[in-house]
Amino acid sequence: MVAKGQKRKIHGDYEIGGSVWASQLQSVLDISMDKFHHDQALVEPSLLRSVLINNTLRQVQFEVESLSVVGNPKSQTYTELQLESDFSRGSPLMGHNTHTDEDFMAWSSEDEFSLSSAISAILKDLDAVIEIGGPGPCVSQRAPLGSIENVTRDGKFTQSGLRTERTSDIISSSSKIDTMYPSGLQDVALDKLLLDIDTTVFEPEVNFLQGFSVTADELVKCLPSMSKSSSLDSPSSSICHGQATWEIHEIEHVMDILMRTCPQS
Amino acid sequence: MCVCVRACVRACVRVCVCASDIISTVEFNSTGELLATGDKGGRVVVFQREQESKNQPHRRGEYNVYSTFQSHEPEFDYLKSLEIEEKINKIRWLPQQNAAYFLLSTNDKTVKLWKISERDKRPEGYNLKDEEGRIRDPTTITALRVPVLRPMDLMVEATPRRIFSNAHTYHINSISVNSDYETYMSTDDLRINLWNLEITNRSFNIVDIKPANMEELTEVITAAEFHPNQCNTFVYSSSKGSIKLCDMRESALCDNHSKLFEEPEDPSNRSFFSEIISSISDVKFSHSGRYLMTRDYLAVKVWDVNMENKPLETYQVHDYLRSKLCSLYENDCIFDKFECVWNGTDSVLMTGSYNNFFRMFDRNTKRDVTLEASRENSKPRAILKPRKVCVGGKRRKDEISVDSLDFSKKILHTAWHPSENIIAVAATNNLYIFQDKVN
Repeated sequence: MVAKGQKRKIHGDYEIGGSVWASQLQSVLDISMDKFHHDQALVEPSLLRSVLINNTLRQVQFEVESLSVVGNPKSQTYTELQLESDFSRGSPLMGHNTHTDEDFMAWSSEDEFSLSSAISAILKDLDAVIEIGGPGPCVSQRAPLGSIENVTRDGKFTQSGLRTERTSDIISSSSKIDTMYPSGLQDVALDKLLLDIDTTVFEPEVNFLQGFSVTADELVKCLPSMSKSSSLDSPSSSICHGQATWEIHEIEHVMDILMRTCPQS
Repeated sequence: MCVCVRACVRACVRVCVCASDIISTVEFNSTGELLATGDKGGRVVVFQREQESKNQPHRRGEYNVYSTFQSHEPEFDYLKSLEIEEKINKIRWLPQQNAAYFLLSTNDKTVKLWKISERDKRPEGYNLKDEEGRIRDPTTITALRVPVLRPMDLMVEATPRRIFSNAHTYHINSISVNSDYETYMSTDDLRINLWNLEITNRSFNIVDIKPANMEELTEVITAAEFHPNQCNTFVYSSSKGSIKLCDMRESALCDNHSKLFEEPEDPSNRSFFSEIISSISDVKFSHSGRYLMTRDYLAVKVWDVNMENKPLETYQVHDYLRSKLCSLYENDCIFDKFECVWNGTDSVLMTGSYNNFFRMFDRNTKRDVTLEASRENSKPRAILKPRKVCVGGKRRKDEISVDSLDFSKKILHTAWHPSENIIAVAATNNLYIFQDKVN
């Protein structure tokens, strides 16, 4: 720990791009990634915490990109960084972090992609978990929130990490994808979506899917019972009678895909 | 500033810390007669100050339990398969308008309005039912009598009068009652909603910082508060260290702030953790409304509402932690959200730290003191001894070194009596009440 009033000894390694700085950067990155992975395992991570970790990762990424672009340390920028004496986290980590400059550059180029994807994944997952269903009926929304957010106009479906969704969300999402995707990619996208469905909510009605020998018409006859299921009944997922017909067709489409993708018994 | 603080200890006697007993919020009411605490188990405990008694003058100012009730229960959101914690995040008292007391309590998703009232009389002498409440046979009634009110043992009952739910997607971190006493706001990570205290099925969104693309999210709301006497003005703080003051008269939607309070980063202190430690954990208007106080990880700052470019005063709470930020990041302490409070005259600030330390700063004399809330050092009516952290060099006898600090013992929640020098300090599952020395 640096005592107050004492002049620090400046070593050559404290220079940005040096091994000590690199180990500090590596430490921050390691800790941040550990926290990211830990938070991913949580059902509902704290948004504040996730944003702060994410911003730290972005800063690390910026530092890495700056090094890789410039090639040499930006001394005028990095000398402003306060180097912390307790970054030395013990011999195991120091042993792990004994990179040479060349190794560090190699690491940065390899991990840069994973870092970017990690940053994107944090916020996508947060949004997927939290924003399902919207804030409820009590708040007057300024703009209608789509049941799937972050679906861009270029057709890239960026949602991931779904845990459960309402039936109406599945229907509306499938209809949106129908318009945005070329037909060849549609089944793949839907498969990806449907894999995330919590099938436990469908258990009471799963019997009619067993055997997969039923016709589509027979499936349609069974569908209204699913819409009346109490497990799906919630204030924010009520299905209007007026939309029943349209939604039955959409459910039928989804069931067709299920039949094609699930093995016959 | 008088540093003679007498301990008036009210603490739960527990050997091990039960998670549900951890105090999560502390709040005096507007007169200071009542003190409410909320805990992680969803319970609210209200203390009432004893009246002065000539027979027992030494018991002046002691707080005793007045009411205990379960405010929130754990819930399960079946739609999202998420458990909603019952932990009480905030309590705010409403001004007293009759014999009953009203407070707002909130967990992550739901705000509730509670009425706390006393009952010391009960009606007796009903015609149609007996004293045990059983219905009497009408044919046995031969005479009519008028029921009368007779004294009974004092009973304090808490009843939920309003439940404000289904308005927040994200976790509620603040509630603030407006000075119009008709509305209040609830704040989550990305949105602020305005409610009427009488209407539970509708609220109005006044601030929304949620980006269209969540991948672009870099900032969240951390706290918000209404101006103490301007019902149109409120402030909210962010995780990037900025405070925005909004005027509801300008626009129904206050996404565009009227004032932005932000201090440029000191380049000499820049590190990987600069942004995290700049995140504001609490913001409070002074009682006068002229100043703002903010708490980030290492410092307390006082802002003049009329000066946006830099704070008026900065007080370092525990700057010796600046060299430990990496370790504190690793053990998650860097994410701790400390609150800060004003005293009644806006001359002293108080906030918590680690090792059960809490700090007071006198704005006039520029003196500060570190005190400790612990059972060993807080015998009833004992004078609290100032503590000191040794930051380097030779450690004196009564000093504690930085490396010896217990980071599991943190004072996050404190409260100051609105008019007297009585403070309430929550240390994990214990509540300490301290007051000025009485001659």
